[in-house]
Amino acid sequence: MTGSRRCGTAVLALTGLILAGAWAAGARAVQDDLRSLLPAEGEAKGWAKDGDPQEFVGEDLFTYIDGGAEIYQEYGFRRVIVQDYENAAGKSVSLEIFEMATPAAAFGIFSFKRSGQGKSVAVGAGAELEDYYMNFWKGRFLVTLTGFDDTTGTIEGLLAVAGTVDARITGTSKPPDLVAALPEQGLKPGSAKYLKGLLGLNNVYSFQTARGLAFTEAVKGDYGDGSTLIVMEYGSAEARASAWNALRGFLEGSDRFARSGSGQGSPPLFRDGKNHYLAFAAAGSRLLLGISPDPSASLAIVGQSR
Amino acid sequence: MSRTIGRRDFIKAGAGAGLTLVVGKALMAGPGAAAKAKAPLIGVGIGEDYGKAAVKAVELAGGIKTFVRKGAKVALLPNVQSRHPGSFTKPEILRAVIRLCKKAGAAEVDCLSWQTVKQWEDTGLKAVIESEGAFLKIFEKDEALFKPVPIPAGVALKEARVLAALYEHDVFINMPITKDHAGNKFTGTMKNLMGLNSPVNNRTFHRPNWKTDPNDVAHLDQSIVDLNKAVKPALNIVDATEFIVTNGPFGPGQLFRPQRVVAGTDRVAIDAYCASLWALKPADIFQIKLGGEQGLGEINPDKVLVKEENI
Repeated sequence: MTGSRRCGTAVLALTGLILAGAWAAGARAVQDDLRSLLPAEGEAKGWAKDGDPQEFVGEDLFTYIDGGAEIYQEYGFRRVIVQDYENAAGKSVSLEIFEMATPAAAFGIFSFKRSGQGKSVAVGAGAELEDYYMNFWKGRFLVTLTGFDDTTGTIEGLLAVAGTVDARITGTSKPPDLVAALPEQGLKPGSAKYLKGLLGLNNVYSFQTARGLAFTEAVKGDYGDGSTLIVMEYGSAEARASAWNALRGFLEGSDRFARSGSGQGSPPLFRDGKNHYLAFAAAGSRLLLGISPDPSASLAIVGQSR
Repeated sequence: MSRTIGRRDFIKAGAGAGLTLVVGKALMAGPGAAAKAKAPLIGVGIGEDYGKAAVKAVELAGGIKTFVRKGAKVALLPNVQSRHPGSFTKPEILRAVIRLCKKAGAAEVDCLSWQTVKQWEDTGLKAVIESEGAFLKIFEKDEALFKPVPIPAGVALKEARVLAALYEHDVFINMPITKDHAGNKFTGTMKNLMGLNSPVNNRTFHRPNWKTDPNDVAHLDQSIVDLNKAVKPALNIVDATEFIVTNGPFGPGQLFRPQRVVAGTDRVAIDAYCASLWALKPADIFQIKLGGEQGLGEINPDKVLVKEENI
């Protein structure tokens, strides 16, 4: 290689680096302004902006979602932008773009809001379309679109607006590693919920005033045999052991739970007021909980995940 | 009609001080049979016409004249939290209730709120209020517009701060929609009263460690129960027609359609009835359980008289 060619290559490489840097900076700038994620006029075919967008940052979310902001805060909320769209037929679609603190938080609130019974659609890093609304997540963003009926025109509007927002969001979209702790065999599609605190857990299974549930993160999955598995991560085996002692003490002292027979060496087993059996097991820094109307199924699911 | 009432307007109207309300006493829960009945009575209208279902529910609960006397000034509290389907009180139910009140001879019917006009517009409730000759009175979130109400029997909340304008009315009718709630799994009559309490006071319902301390999570339910010790509606009319059972209270979420309107005076009994509509066990809903334990009403369905009728 001659000196001039080496020099030319270096210039090209430098130019590439500069361009890449500029592109990255541009991408950051775009993502720094939530308005830039909104479909422009004509971009979502047949749908035009209706009114001005509203934005809420941090604690101001309580102004927008009075009484319902806590779950977003639990996952880690930064800000939201809300914009309405309408078509020539007078149908409306409401677009909400929630910027969360991390991609894990975005996946978490997405997993919380989806029912698992909707239709999976190819938008973003994961999307679920329900009767009249849809949610998808990508990067740090959760996007919720609501129609005000379930007609074909409205559903097409949801998908059109969602598609243009999807194309504008950059960033990586990897679900939290803990999700992989759910055994795949028998796992119901869309049933995995990633949890960051008690509010999320209470919507999955309520221990009410139990102690020992200050996990750092958790994941829940439903299985085809009717069982549910919850994996709670405590950061260390010591923290997990301490939490389990507190939780076990609560369960043994509560009139809502009864200790149920399990053989020596088998995981502890409790029965709740709905005749569901709760089997517990430890795995390093994680506490595993299997829940099922069938005690053998709850024991089996924790055994499968150890 | 709609307008925003600020602190100055309120003081000018001479309503800022001297208002009285006996804590725990129903706002004009007239001398009717429902108030005197031994077993709590719940009226339930069932059908696709939600306005007619509301009329039937009130009739079965004792009839509107049991609660609204001629010349009374009536305050209504529908839920306007969100415009997502199944998350706000249906306009046709509000329309029916306004008409009932007027038919009973009410001198004035007002919807009181510190929520935004936009929320009332987006839910279609403002249009109903205007077309029915009622009044939408929206107040600024100014603490001076809220009346301190001591709660001697309060466990978590010792003082509520209730929209003072409520005490200018003779009758208070609570009109929630029942639905899911991400925090405590259920919204009904008791939770709806947060719509009259000051936003600043409401924030104290959420303790700093609500993310990690189970007792702080339960603190919200206890605060709701305490608030209900301070304010007692003369009548509750609950929209249980179609509502969200996931992603509450804001939605969007999965809709459930029992097509019922539920009316009565016993908030615990009504909330227990509504919770059971979507397979929740009332004793598992902390606010219902605490409400029953602390004398707000009857949680045992065997001790409640439920009158259901299809329309």
